[in-house]
Amino acid sequence: MSRTITIEPVTRIEGHARISLQLADTGEVEDARFHLTQFRGFEKFCEGRPYREMPALTARTCGICPVSHLLASNKACDDLLAVSIPPTAEKLRRVMNLAQLVQSHALSFFHLSSPDLLLGWDADPQSRNVFGVMQQYPDLARDGIRLRQIGQTIIEILGGKKIHPTWVVPGGVSEPLSEEKHKAIQTMLPEGLEIAKRTYASFKTLLPKFKDEASHFGNLPTLFLSLVSETGQLEHTTGLLRVKDAQGRIIEDKVPPRDYKRLIGEAVEDFSYMKFPYYKPMGYPRGIYRVGPLARLNNADSCGTPYADVALAEFRTLQEDAGPVASSFHYHYARLVEIIHAIERMQRILKEPDILDTRVRAHARGNREEGIGVSEAPRGTLMHHYKIDEHGLIKWVDLIIATGHNNLAMNRSIKQVADAYVDGNQLKEGMLNRVEAVIRCYDPCLSCASHAFGQMPLVIELKDASGEVIDRLCRD
Amino acid sequence: MSATALVIGYGSPIRGDDAIGPLVADRLQQLALPDWVRVEARHILTAELAADMARMARVIFLDAGVDLPPGELRCQPLQPDTSALSSMAHFHDPRELLAWCQGLYGRVPEAWLITAGGAEFDYGHFRLSDTAAAAVQPMMQAVLEQLGLHTPPAESALIGS
Repeated sequence: MSRTITIEPVTRIEGHARISLQLADTGEVEDARFHLTQFRGFEKFCEGRPYREMPALTARTCGICPVSHLLASNKACDDLLAVSIPPTAEKLRRVMNLAQLVQSHALSFFHLSSPDLLLGWDADPQSRNVFGVMQQYPDLARDGIRLRQIGQTIIEILGGKKIHPTWVVPGGVSEPLSEEKHKAIQTMLPEGLEIAKRTYASFKTLLPKFKDEASHFGNLPTLFLSLVSETGQLEHTTGLLRVKDAQGRIIEDKVPPRDYKRLIGEAVEDFSYMKFPYYKPMGYPRGIYRVGPLARLNNADSCGTPYADVALAEFRTLQEDAGPVASSFHYHYARLVEIIHAIERMQRILKEPDILDTRVRAHARGNREEGIGVSEAPRGTLMHHYKIDEHGLIKWVDLIIATGHNNLAMNRSIKQVADAYVDGNQLKEGMLNRVEAVIRCYDPCLSCASHAFGQMPLVIELKDASGEVIDRLCRD
Repeated sequence: MSATALVIGYGSPIRGDDAIGPLVADRLQQLALPDWVRVEARHILTAELAADMARMARVIFLDAGVDLPPGELRCQPLQPDTSALSSMAHFHDPRELLAWCQGLYGRVPEAWLITAGGAEFDYGHFRLSDTAAAAVQPMMQAVLEQLGLHTPPAESALIGS
């Protein structure tokens, strides 16, 4: 007699999803599935629009990472123009991308995952939320808000507004950096770095408590995909694609983003609106890979900034044997390393002598019929691919977003957590929260993956084969 | 002079009438409002707004609603509410942000929510419906009244006009 446990919606993630666990007679978990239950279809309704609208249009995919879409889209448009953007423009885009990473990672760590990390997976769900964290750790909660403010303010200073700035344009950026803005950004960064460093130090002291979760939260042998710089360093804005295997061997390196189709295939399943990308040479579903902070740190030879490189060395010790850090639990750790890196990197870029140069845009008309833009969003590699007609109107769009890349890994991770923690005979809040928490490690953005907004109360039901509910948990 | 009143219009600009909040905020930004009024147009309400709100005497949220006849306005006071948690947490209920103000900064501004009824909220719609568009001017007027600016700035006071 098989049974199914359904968790719907999954909370403290962006978007709308359901998890179902199929149980065998013995109560063991036979299968686990992460269902994306809504569909928006950006790829389709972009068709027929002028390609120059695409950055502003696709930035509307999400209110949290609009800058990431703006950047990848503009890179695809740069490709359509067939231009190299001015070096100063590239640096300014990089600063905005790093500021976006800081604010997004801060949200994930401080406000979405900290209730689990600080209050515990078995805490009363009524208080296991950000208000519980505020009561017990108000300084940490204020730090989280301040870090987000710093990231958002930098985006606003550069782009003119926090959400959906239009300053990044095909060919570069629309305005150079003024001395006044330059100073304003530089002034904020030391405080941001101090917050990042003390949060990192504090998180390290928590880690021994989570040994069990770390060994079961998506502790999987998978490939890792990300951009790296031409010299193999951590990279978020330009760079080349690298793929490492579960043993840490580089199996693809210096792959130009234009060749991403050689690496990535896209499968679909009937239980989810999210695509299932896979590493094409290994086939589906064997070609499972992960993207995002964990993949980026596993793939990079170094961060290239002082404090982040120390933190990276410590990050590598999380894996006892040789090879990449395998547990998805350590996405949290990787986010903190990346925040440190992002702030250090911004400080360094803003000191470069040409940062106030006024040549920031290459002007051209569409010179190619196909354009591809790839950058690293906070959650992982973001790919925009457009085809246009002779009038510059969009004929075809493919968007592969970070949450999609991680889809196979998220499904496997849920299965692993369920195997370890779910007792099919009785539902307990703590064990089901762990199933959700492994998804939160990936910080999925389902608005980006499907483009769905909405919310509803959480209902978890355990049904037998005849459909009779034999146990039920509710969160109003 | 530091602002003491914050107006936040929020909603998605590509979901038809959902855009009325940010559109009205954009229009208000074009007026020559006093220095003590700050206006923001946002896609969604995000956590860091709590720090800004906590410094204000008054905050006015502008949103679209499905529970009102299209084009109709409603103005209601808001109180902090920790139970107004968003299940997704990447965006927030205004009452939740007020609770953040209380919990983290020990003070809560006087807060109002002005809602305009909408008719069309489909994805990929870049314009307001006619009924929602008719609510833009009344919504602006409601904000000005709420701020005690009873006489709307003359057309000549429009920035750039």
